[in-house]
Amino acid sequence: MDTNKTETALGILNKQLNQPLLAALEVCARCGICAEACHYYVAEPKTDYIPATRAEQLRKVYRSEHDFLSRILPGWTNYARITDDTISELADIAFTTCTLCYRCTTNCPMGVDTPLLMTTLRTMATATGNAPEMLEMLADAAVEKGKDPSIYLDYFLDSIRDMEKDLQSLTGNPDARISVQKKGAKILYVALAGAHTILPAAAIFETIGEDWTLSIFEASNYGVFLGDPARAKTIAKRIVDEANALGVKEIVISECGHAYYAMRWTAPNWFGDEFDFRVRSIVEVIAEYIQQGRLTLDPSANPGPLTYHDSCNLGRKGGVIEEARIIMRAVTNNFIELAPSRDEAYCCGGGSGLVALPEAFDIRMLAGKPKADQVMRSGATIVAAACENCRLQLGDLSEHYGLGVGVIALADLVVKAMRLPGAKDSLEEKITAQNSLVEK
Amino acid sequence: MHNIIIPQLIAGLAIVFTLVAFGWRLKVFNSLARPIDRAPARGSIKQGLLYAYTLGMAPWAKESTRRHWLSYIRGVFFHIGIFLGLGILVISPWINLFPTWLRITLSTGAGLGALLGLAGFVARFIDPNLKALSTPDDYFAVLVVSVFLATACLGLSFLATLPIFYIISAFMLIYAPFSKIRHCIYFAYSRLFFGRFTGIRGVLPHQQQVLR
Repeated sequence: MDTNKTETALGILNKQLNQPLLAALEVCARCGICAEACHYYVAEPKTDYIPATRAEQLRKVYRSEHDFLSRILPGWTNYARITDDTISELADIAFTTCTLCYRCTTNCPMGVDTPLLMTTLRTMATATGNAPEMLEMLADAAVEKGKDPSIYLDYFLDSIRDMEKDLQSLTGNPDARISVQKKGAKILYVALAGAHTILPAAAIFETIGEDWTLSIFEASNYGVFLGDPARAKTIAKRIVDEANALGVKEIVISECGHAYYAMRWTAPNWFGDEFDFRVRSIVEVIAEYIQQGRLTLDPSANPGPLTYHDSCNLGRKGGVIEEARIIMRAVTNNFIELAPSRDEAYCCGGGSGLVALPEAFDIRMLAGKPKADQVMRSGATIVAAACENCRLQLGDLSEHYGLGVGVIALADLVVKAMRLPGAKDSLEEKITAQNSLVEK
Repeated sequence: MHNIIIPQLIAGLAIVFTLVAFGWRLKVFNSLARPIDRAPARGSIKQGLLYAYTLGMAPWAKESTRRHWLSYIRGVFFHIGIFLGLGILVISPWINLFPTWLRITLSTGAGLGALLGLAGFVARFIDPNLKALSTPDDYFAVLVVSVFLATACLGLSFLATLPIFYIISAFMLIYAPFSKIRHCIYFAYSRLFFGRFTGIRGVLPHQQQVLR
């Protein structure tokens, strides 16, 4: 047994032990009512996939350290001391068999915060070198990029100039621009890597004459997936500093579930204060434009049938639920709700970094089966999702389960419904075009 | 009467012990940090809390309790029975002053609670998921509480058996702070954090109910 690793893991557990964590560790009655709330269990009903079983793995460790009865009668409470082997087993549970979707919590009569327990396990695993290598690499790359943006700034600006030509042809407006880091702009738009999250938003902003500018940073925050508050804060700080330096009134996050959740709900806690600017998702902003009548949309542009998948980070964990419906109803006459949806929606199975792990392909296909079944039952031919990871997962699910559905972002549907001069005629073309933008 | 004073005294001391032990646990709990949500609210924390403690507990409020409504309602009434049993313990020294109809009502309530507890005990043996999840403490805790309720029922029906009720109560009360039974003191906090989380984000109460 590696004493240092064990001590580190236990040190993390003790350091993280606050009121919500202690309540989550103590309050579970092991009634098992949470079983079917978990998409893994729905896909394969085995006890390992019951949220309470997962959470018990951390509770056993907690009891070995903090419970009197467990110390004198270990078998009575099934306590377990942590070892090197169990740390890697716990890491596997936390990183690959839970997507932190919060569905078990909303379904628990006690409100047990199992995602909090799994995040604590992720923190313990990351601190002891047991986190998935890919997530470590992506988080470190983001931290490095933030240290000296000048390394890639010229290349980034060149690609934006190219994109500007695409924007002008799409909007039919030769004056359409993608301004980068413009001081005093109202909105700082933070996109993901790739033109596909920049161009549609730019088309919307430019068409309605919004005062906006583009961040040079990506919205993704892999520190969040690692359960590593230090790296997560460092990654978020680049954008917070940029927003403060530019004096923007608002940060608008691209269609990305975890990036929105991190910046909107968690980052103010990392920095210990409310921000001087507002943080919203592009979904909220577009819905507001529609409600204000600033966007003229033709719902016949997207004949469908279309459905919408609620990202857990945006919906159940973020509250952006009805805004997506406002957009869907405005861009199509043929919108079908998945059942269940909104705060009861199933996770796509690719959340919390799982979609980035090549080694987790099989398990995420399993975890996504309830979502695939839902989509199939809906009869929709197009699935819209406001989260990049969800879209990647839904695309893979479509291929894996032979759903034959197209997957698209809300902003793309909006652009299609705006009937812009350069917009692709069919949604199929639009999806193909989006795929080529992803590659760009 | 001498036969009952010593068991009564033991039960009384057990009550004091449990209150002190739970008080200590709550003191430890409250000494820990409670994270503050600094993000501006999107919904209402008050509404979230109200929902978490009221309608959010209704059997129809969650997919899980809609699916397992029978075992959920069994659990709810079992817990109501426990509080009734504790009430009976507190008022039992004056039980002779109570009218017969009240004694029968309380006895019936405790008896039903005992049966529901025993049903839960059996379910842990039968249901494969519950069996896999359960620790020996889970079985023992539900059994002890069920026996406590059964003796409460018996004690009210046959006053001569009250000493047994006191001894069982004392055992249960002393066991509670060390065992799974202590989840009762964390319940309100867990719902508090749940209500805050979903309320500030505007997730619960359900948006479509609020907006439409």
